[in-house]
Amino acid sequence: MISCRNLTRRFGSFTAVDSLDLEVAEGAVCAFLGPNGAGKSTTVKMLTGLLPPTSGSVEVCGLDVVHHALEVKRIIGVLPEDLGLFDDLTVEEHLLLTGSVYGIPKAETKLRVAQLLHALSLEHGRNTFAAACSHGMRKKTAFAMALLPNPRVLFLDEPFEAIDPVTSKIMRDLLAAVARRRVTVFLTSHILSVVEQIATQVVMIRKGKIVWDSPPSGLPQALEQHYFDLVETPVVEELSWLGSPRS
Amino acid sequence: MARVAAVLKALAQAWRRDSGSFQSTVGNNFFLVTALLLQNAGTFIYLLIGVVLLFPLSTDPLRKIPASRLSFWPLTDHDRRLLRLVSPWVNPVSWLVLGAAVWAARGKVTLGLWAAFSGLFVLAFVLSDLPISPSRSIWLHVPPFPGRWNQLIRKNLREILTTLDFYCALLLSLSALAWRIFGVSLPSEAFLALTILVVLAVSSYSQCLFGLDGAGGLARYRLLPLHGWEILIAKDIALLAAIIPLTLPLAPLAGIAAALAALALGHQPSVERMRPQRRWRFSTGAGLVTGLLHAGIMAMAASTVYFTSAWIVLICAAAWLASVWYYGRLVGSDAPK
Repeated sequence: MISCRNLTRRFGSFTAVDSLDLEVAEGAVCAFLGPNGAGKSTTVKMLTGLLPPTSGSVEVCGLDVVHHALEVKRIIGVLPEDLGLFDDLTVEEHLLLTGSVYGIPKAETKLRVAQLLHALSLEHGRNTFAAACSHGMRKKTAFAMALLPNPRVLFLDEPFEAIDPVTSKIMRDLLAAVARRRVTVFLTSHILSVVEQIATQVVMIRKGKIVWDSPPSGLPQALEQHYFDLVETPVVEELSWLGSPRS
Repeated sequence: MARVAAVLKALAQAWRRDSGSFQSTVGNNFFLVTALLLQNAGTFIYLLIGVVLLFPLSTDPLRKIPASRLSFWPLTDHDRRLLRLVSPWVNPVSWLVLGAAVWAARGKVTLGLWAAFSGLFVLAFVLSDLPISPSRSIWLHVPPFPGRWNQLIRKNLREILTTLDFYCALLLSLSALAWRIFGVSLPSEAFLALTILVVLAVSSYSQCLFGLDGAGGLARYRLLPLHGWEILIAKDIALLAAIIPLTLPLAPLAGIAAALAALALGHQPSVERMRPQRRWRFSTGAGLVTGLLHAGIMAMAASTVYFTSAWIVLICAAAWLASVWYYGRLVGSDAPK
């Protein structure tokens, strides 16, 4: 469903993503893990057509993302890193906009909007402008926009960060449900405990290179420990001035 | 005292940065033309600009610090009182009001003018300090448009309504309407000149159509399954929807021709040289040469329609469509940058 071959992205002399090869099957929930600056968001941007690769190729549902950009956009749903919201549209208007540009009939759009607003507890803020929304509301709006066109592939960049536990659970359940209906989910996250619950494929990236790719059952130890060992060891720094008598 | 001084220093820095955004007037078509061509006849226009500029400048500098942050800082009651008394003087408009008071006392400025000037300042200052959050709910009343671009056009229109360009044009248009209502006879050429001024006042926005979308909005454009020309048309329809009602009391066809010319020329800087804009400021155009060229062609288009044939509007529309097609491809391929 998602296929990358030798995918590379350079910014000047800096290589953000280096010769990435990846296969994600239909109906899989692929968790793409790595520390800040490892190349996760750059990869998502290339997979969704937001950023052209320097070299290599990306295919989504058999379509080349660079050469069939519009066709790919029609079959994917994206929760981008910066959420991609317009300050001058309300929560509900963002969803109505999505329905109309994806060519969903008005009545069907209204039905889906109502259901999504209810499911994500956004009903009370439906007329709130994105600029005035809390971060959590903005994230839920962007998530609802990704789901509304009933995409075949979902790309979610850090969907669970800055979300309350109840919404996180709702989102997890929704993702598990859509994956059972053969929708492919590709997500990045730093919250390993959540990832552990829903992922069917775990990919770890470090300095632009994939260092692990397996189903959760293939992990030799607990996800968190494996992540620490393979990707990033926590730094321990003694801040001796903290809690000491004030000068 | 050191703590208050530190806060005042931060306030002065924030105010200086914010006031820098008023330099956008340098690259604004309307300001360029009024400064270069209307030096003798521009008193009324400069008065309008003064009012439009003064209002947002007259805010309380202290509100630049979030109230929650200010309440956390370890300042004594005395510090806070001192801050309240001294902070208004961080705003240079306070010094202008004081200077004008001295002039008024010496008879160099009439007392009425000083009262109007300082009254406007105090009103804006107090309003900015009231504990009310600015409501955006008024923008919910922006009417819907038919078709699949409805929400995009509404969003774009809301963006236009948060630029000072629009209110400058509105004041001009309302003044013309008042002249008409109260029967002041004007030569027919005056309607053309006023139409050009109205369109000119809003035209800089056509050079920075993506300026108020923000990084998130620009990313969303690239995710939506829309062609670039559709995104540009949604932008243009919104601008036309703002301009056409303003030119109705004047010379509407000439106004439409000028607006189409402005859009046809504005796509290039909008798409190829994107510049972020700030709300409640004048739009920053693409520069002096582009601005003057823009103004000249707009004036030519409007005059030709007014004095020769209304059919010239069709030529302007064709040029606009060609521009939408050409620059729409760029928006679709790898823009917004």
